[in-house]
Amino acid sequence: MPELNEDEIRGLAKAVNIEIQDSDITDISYSLNAMLEAIDSINPEGINAVEPLSIILQKEG
Amino acid sequence: MRDQELIFMSAADLATKMKEKQISPVEAVKAYLDRITEVDGKINAYITVLADQALAEAQQAESDINAGLIKGPLHGVPVGVKDQIYTKNVRTSSASKIRSDFVPDFDATVVEGLKRSGAIILGKLNMTEFAMGDPITSAFGVTHNPWDLTRNPGTSSTGSGAATASFMCATSLGEDTGGSVRGPASNCGLVGLRPSWGRVSRYGVDGASWSLDTIGPISRTVEDCALTLSAIAGFDQKDQYMKDVPVPDYCAALTGDIRGVKIGVVREFLDPDVMGVTQSVRQGVLQATEVLATLGAEVEEISLPLAPVAGVASRIISAVERSSLHPEWLRNRPNEFHHNTRVAFTTGELIPSQVYYKAQKLRTLVRKQTLEALERFDVLVMPGASEPATVMNLEPGIRSKEAAVRALTEASYRGFFSLVSGPALSICCGYTAEGDNKLPLGMQIAGRPFDEAMVMNVAYAYEQNTNWHLECPSL
Repeated sequence: MPELNEDEIRGLAKAVNIEIQDSDITDISYSLNAMLEAIDSINPEGINAVEPLSIILQKEG
Repeated sequence: MRDQELIFMSAADLATKMKEKQISPVEAVKAYLDRITEVDGKINAYITVLADQALAEAQQAESDINAGLIKGPLHGVPVGVKDQIYTKNVRTSSASKIRSDFVPDFDATVVEGLKRSGAIILGKLNMTEFAMGDPITSAFGVTHNPWDLTRNPGTSSTGSGAATASFMCATSLGEDTGGSVRGPASNCGLVGLRPSWGRVSRYGVDGASWSLDTIGPISRTVEDCALTLSAIAGFDQKDQYMKDVPVPDYCAALTGDIRGVKIGVVREFLDPDVMGVTQSVRQGVLQATEVLATLGAEVEEISLPLAPVAGVASRIISAVERSSLHPEWLRNRPNEFHHNTRVAFTTGELIPSQVYYKAQKLRTLVRKQTLEALERFDVLVMPGASEPATVMNLEPGIRSKEAAVRALTEASYRGFFSLVSGPALSICCGYTAEGDNKLPLGMQIAGRPFDEAMVMNVAYAYEQNTNWHLECPSL
């Protein structure tokens, strides 16, 4: 996944009505790109075959 | 009895001696208030100390004892409560400027439980702002680790860990999203239990992440942990995600007999090449498993290949869910957040929905793999962190993207069991012997959903055959 640059991040923020301060943009870039890069590299077998509802539907107890 | 002897007692012993009228609740509350006056200037564990209220409640508790009325197992025991947990008519700030004037008009269900059990709320404990993972974000100042004041006491229940470890309360409550009960327990040499999701009500607790939050005890002994959990566990229809599962007698389950108990030691977290575990932590956990084996447990290594990616999934899930709780604050009051909190909340807002869903799918796979392992094993064991408490970086900000990636990897240590949703407990398994820095090491013991009793009994067996819990930080 290509890294998002600061302009792109500001654009994303604008779409959800957030004004990013100059003092924050570098750290947001580090934080957001770290998460996007990390999850992009994780593709275990079966990832596309499961539903994202792990917590509610399991039988427990 | 001298104050010093009294505050160093376990909550269980304190409760027993109160029932036997050897110690009065007033004496206990005064001793803890003296201790707070003596050491909290160094630690900064409390946001609010309820001196007058606690003394009045102690007087009532004493009258009750004299009249033969014991409310419950924690009758007269002074307890600290994390400041995101609602306390009626007492400020509940979540360690933020934004909530600094918020005074709830009702008690959280867990506080009701403590009171029903007879506990006396001594005060509200510091934490990271809105339970974010960074130790420097509290609007009420940084909390320090009593073992070394320069080090992280463990987040986000910083005050719960630090106050309990420095004997400023008998036991405490924290909140665990991605490890916020187990982290302080690990860093401060305590017992901290993240209960099963659905075991303890979150009603009246400022949320961090709807699908991950749990409320749990941070205590000095396993028995105190069991006592505290007993006071707060149980079905509450005001929390829609509770499960109506009977609550066993946790204290009675502490037999210390673990003969034949099957223990799986998670290989990935003990491999320095996979997760960067330090030698001291690795050694502490492996020696602990040897103790468990000598007690008759069947200890075996197990591989859970997805465990190392749990941190990425748990951090993404919590970032998105956390930022969705109060979106108006980020837009209307951004400068009232600490810089690091604002960065984290903004990041959560910008994560694409498909990334969040992928993280939830990962959670499903991690959970499935782990629950399958728990069909073979009664509990799983692993370190509480890769290293002991680190020196706090007091400067706001993130050093680099690489540092942010490393933090995601480290988050797997505790985020792993947060995703699984079963109980996970951290217990001290030794201390570093490097130079003069004697720092606690943490080991996690995790079990099947709603089997807190098994998890605590394994921890109890270990504790009763080691002396780590008897060590005290010098302040």
